[in-house]
Amino acid sequence: MTVSLKLAWRYMSGRGLRSALTTLAVVFGVMLIFGLNGVTPSLVEAFTKGLLSTAGKIDLSVTSAYNQPFTPDILEKVARVPGVAVATPEVQKSVPLPPLDGVATSQQVQSVNVIGVDPGTVALVREFPLSAGRPLAVGDASVVVLASDLAARLKVALGDSLVLPSSVGSTRFTVVGLMSSATLPGAEQVFVPLAESQQLFALGARLTVVEASLRAGADRAAVEADVRAAVGADYTVGGLSTNSSLLASLQVSTFAFDMFGIFALATAGFIILNSFRTVVAERRRDIGMLRAIGTPRRTITAMFLIESVLQGVVGTALGILAGWGMAAGLMALLGPVFESVVHIKVPPVTFPASAWVLSIVLGIGVTVLAALVPARAAGRVTPMEAMRPQLGEVYARTVGRRAWIGLGLMVVSLFGLTAGTSLSVGLGAVVFLIGAAMAAPAAINPIADAFGHLLEATFAREGAIARSNLQRNPGRSGITVTAVMLGLASIVALLGVVQAIFAGFAGYIDRSLSADYMVIPQSIVLGQGNVAAGPRLAADVRHVAGIGPVSTLRLAQGRVNGADVQFLGIDPATYPQVAAFEWNTPSSDAAIGQLAGGRWLIANGIFASQHNLTIGEQVRVDTPNGQRTYVVAGIGNDYLNAKLATVYVSQANLASDFGVTADLLVMADRLPSADPEAVLAAMRKVVAEYPAFKLYESAQWRSEQLGIFDQTMVIFYGLVAALAIPSLLALLNTLAVSVLGRRREIGMLRAVGATRRQVRRMVLAESLLLSIIGTVFGVLVGLWLGYALVTSMSAVGWPMPYIFPWGGVMATVVVGIGFGALAAFIPARSAARLNVVEALHQE
Amino acid sequence: MAIVETSDLRKTYGEGATAVQALDGVDLQVQPGEFVAVMGPSGCGKSTLLNMLGGLDAPTSGSVRVDGADLTALTDDRLTELRRRRIGFIFQFFNLIPVLSAVENAALPLVLDGAKDAQATAAEWLTNVGLKDRLANRPDQLSGGEQQRVAVARALSTQPALVLADEPTGNLDSKAATDIAGLLGQVAREWGRSVLMVTHDPRIASFADRLVLMKDGRIVDDVHLDGSVDAARLAMEKSGLL
Repeated sequence: MTVSLKLAWRYMSGRGLRSALTTLAVVFGVMLIFGLNGVTPSLVEAFTKGLLSTAGKIDLSVTSAYNQPFTPDILEKVARVPGVAVATPEVQKSVPLPPLDGVATSQQVQSVNVIGVDPGTVALVREFPLSAGRPLAVGDASVVVLASDLAARLKVALGDSLVLPSSVGSTRFTVVGLMSSATLPGAEQVFVPLAESQQLFALGARLTVVEASLRAGADRAAVEADVRAAVGADYTVGGLSTNSSLLASLQVSTFAFDMFGIFALATAGFIILNSFRTVVAERRRDIGMLRAIGTPRRTITAMFLIESVLQGVVGTALGILAGWGMAAGLMALLGPVFESVVHIKVPPVTFPASAWVLSIVLGIGVTVLAALVPARAAGRVTPMEAMRPQLGEVYARTVGRRAWIGLGLMVVSLFGLTAGTSLSVGLGAVVFLIGAAMAAPAAINPIADAFGHLLEATFAREGAIARSNLQRNPGRSGITVTAVMLGLASIVALLGVVQAIFAGFAGYIDRSLSADYMVIPQSIVLGQGNVAAGPRLAADVRHVAGIGPVSTLRLAQGRVNGADVQFLGIDPATYPQVAAFEWNTPSSDAAIGQLAGGRWLIANGIFASQHNLTIGEQVRVDTPNGQRTYVVAGIGNDYLNAKLATVYVSQANLASDFGVTADLLVMADRLPSADPEAVLAAMRKVVAEYPAFKLYESAQWRSEQLGIFDQTMVIFYGLVAALAIPSLLALLNTLAVSVLGRRREIGMLRAVGATRRQVRRMVLAESLLLSIIGTVFGVLVGLWLGYALVTSMSAVGWPMPYIFPWGGVMATVVVGIGFGALAAFIPARSAARLNVVEALHQE
Repeated sequence: MAIVETSDLRKTYGEGATAVQALDGVDLQVQPGEFVAVMGPSGCGKSTLLNMLGGLDAPTSGSVRVDGADLTALTDDRLTELRRRRIGFIFQFFNLIPVLSAVENAALPLVLDGAKDAQATAAEWLTNVGLKDRLANRPDQLSGGEQQRVAVARALSTQPALVLADEPTGNLDSKAATDIAGLLGQVAREWGRSVLMVTHDPRIASFADRLVLMKDGRIVDDVHLDGSVDAARLAMEKSGLL
């Protein structure tokens, strides 16, 4: 053990550059895993904190499972449950605010949560630490209480008026109380009397939330169960953070981030494998001598394993440090985006225990695992090696068998990719990459031949030597190509996915919401908490001169087989005039017409695949008014709702079965003959009366949304670039080794008359060949993997069109070949500067 | 008792038409403290013989006994142990670990064997071979002759019964080669080890007590040398190998 440790340490420190390059690969992998695992939990924490901070002393919240307002008898039911001390009725709705003049975009309060409370009982559940004014009192009308910091941002003081948007336009509230509590961004709240809020949102006597506090000493779980039994299955009892689409998309990004990290570490693993293989090859004679003088095999194996542990530990430690820096940097980048788009204050980076465990286990584990094969091979070196005057062919010619195993793995991985869960997709992707890595070396000779001829056309003699160098050592070439391939394949695949998301996003704007004008609540992308408009808004729009067809969308929540489904109400007569479905064959626009003739529905792709629906099938739907049976008229998608299980029904059915008559979104087309300027001005005038809504022209909306999207894409591209670095290291490493290993040969070439320039070119040509082969494989594998990821993500409920990533492929080719030239720079120079006499005297 | 004892030692490489008979019935004995040189044209089997004696390669048939142990009957672990404790190796290319100092290289077999005073013993042997002032130097800071002296010290550090030298002077200049050959003579005569040296150079072989001449896998002559510079060359001429 001590000998192994000593030798490992001496070799490592004596070969500083090599060790550093290998370790750097681990650093990058760990950096990505650790850093990214620090980012997402911080965001999730910010998000849940934002939600929970609204809770106060509330022990229990009861909301509708359908996201619908409900009648006050639920309040009675909750209050009667033993163990419940107080139950208080509330209305909670998020309303967007129009931007204030003279306030920076990042400082704008884009929306507030209007909380209608019962002044008589709310004080028993919520705290109102007042700094000025008075609390809400029984009998109050249009008054509001809010935190003083929020008031300052809204530029209102005690006694001022605050205008809140509503379904009938807007309502003025007088500020009567200011609270000292600090407002977390994303949790801006204003408190108004319950009756006032019911009027504001046209709810009648209905509520959206019942908040309750428990008696001291009550069994929380038992009370929760009793409340659940009392209110029935149509209600959700518990935390406020459940069922959030933002939380879901954060989980999706955690998965995507983990994929980045796994790809990076897989690449690092191959670099380490490569590095240790070359190291074992280099030290073959040393190992032979050690065996000859009586070193047991296990001591030799231990020596390499210890070396890998040392590098793993150092690499992981540095990786964690770099990951911390990366997370901090990412948060600095992400912060403004998140604050402006989803109103979440991004906290300082924190790392959960799992991030540490994952990084340390994977960082050291991958290093040791990758070194295991070469280390065992080292143990098998015969003592005879010490006697050989020349280093022999050191790589076993098992290329053919490995290629078959690799192909087999690639086939097996298809099951994972198509199995339909994100875990199996991730696993399938990794298995596919391993398979590709095993199969790649078999194709080196043919490809080296093909590209070698191309190179030879450029610099004839050096190209031929470079090609034969590669083909003579297929093992080493194979592993370099593999490392480059892995790095680039993951880049191409991820770019493919990113582009698909982007295209899906742009496509939804283009196809689904093709109307010339749209009147949309400002926070529609969030999917929740939108304020809906009464019928007046659509009517007003219809009356604008120059406006042609107008159609609206309405939203309700329902359940099918116990699963939440969103129901969109469309007007079968006007919808096709301003919008469109992407139909799954054999469905067609005729289905829209069918909606008008009874309980027919159009299912979107996710919903149809979840319930295995075909046209003509009956679907039993739980609605707030009881169970109803609908018949499937067609299956089609609009991209707005591509992420969620969605059903389209007629607005008439939405009204009778769900009780929803308010419009969520108004779409309108301009008459061809109308003057665009005049129509726009008239539309602006109408929408100005509805502060919760914003008027968009299609082009403007599209560019605004794409702008927000672009900001987040920058981060993705940054990550993709970070992934490319390990490939560069792999190339550099292999080339350096290949030059060092051939000093005598290079010396001989120089001795028989090769110029420095020719030697430089030879090394450059070899590097270019390796990188071209790696790039070709990387692009092919990456394209396929990207396609598989996109289609499988579609299968798990995130439909997006596959777009061939032309830009990504071009960039990857440029980067791959550029890296080849870059990586050759130092080795080529040192090869050219080699002292001929010294080189020839080397063993 | 002889330190080395082979009987009807045979080694065949390959099969069928491409088979090569590297050793074809070699009977050899080496006594304690004897310095034996093995010579012969390339491919005569002398390196193969050395590998068999060192337990690096297994014979096709016949037996090899070193220091009383039958090498063909030993497991890999026991062979490894035997090499570590009873056999010292000296290679043409020195084969020192480049990242270890002279004394660390010389101490390697002792350290591997778990000996307590490895460094001190190694330093003692390095002093014996004339490298008292070079203990802390790494191989790349030593001349070829000095590197080979480190290898000799390494081979002797475990007090082996047998020292095997494979072309120990093949990579040295004439002066250094003579010095190393002299040192090997000292190893046998003063320190009492049996030394078996393979060489191409008759001048170097003349330092040995005894010359074994090989051809086509057989011993063709086995002569005692008188210590004169021409002894080996004359013996080769007599056997028709020159």
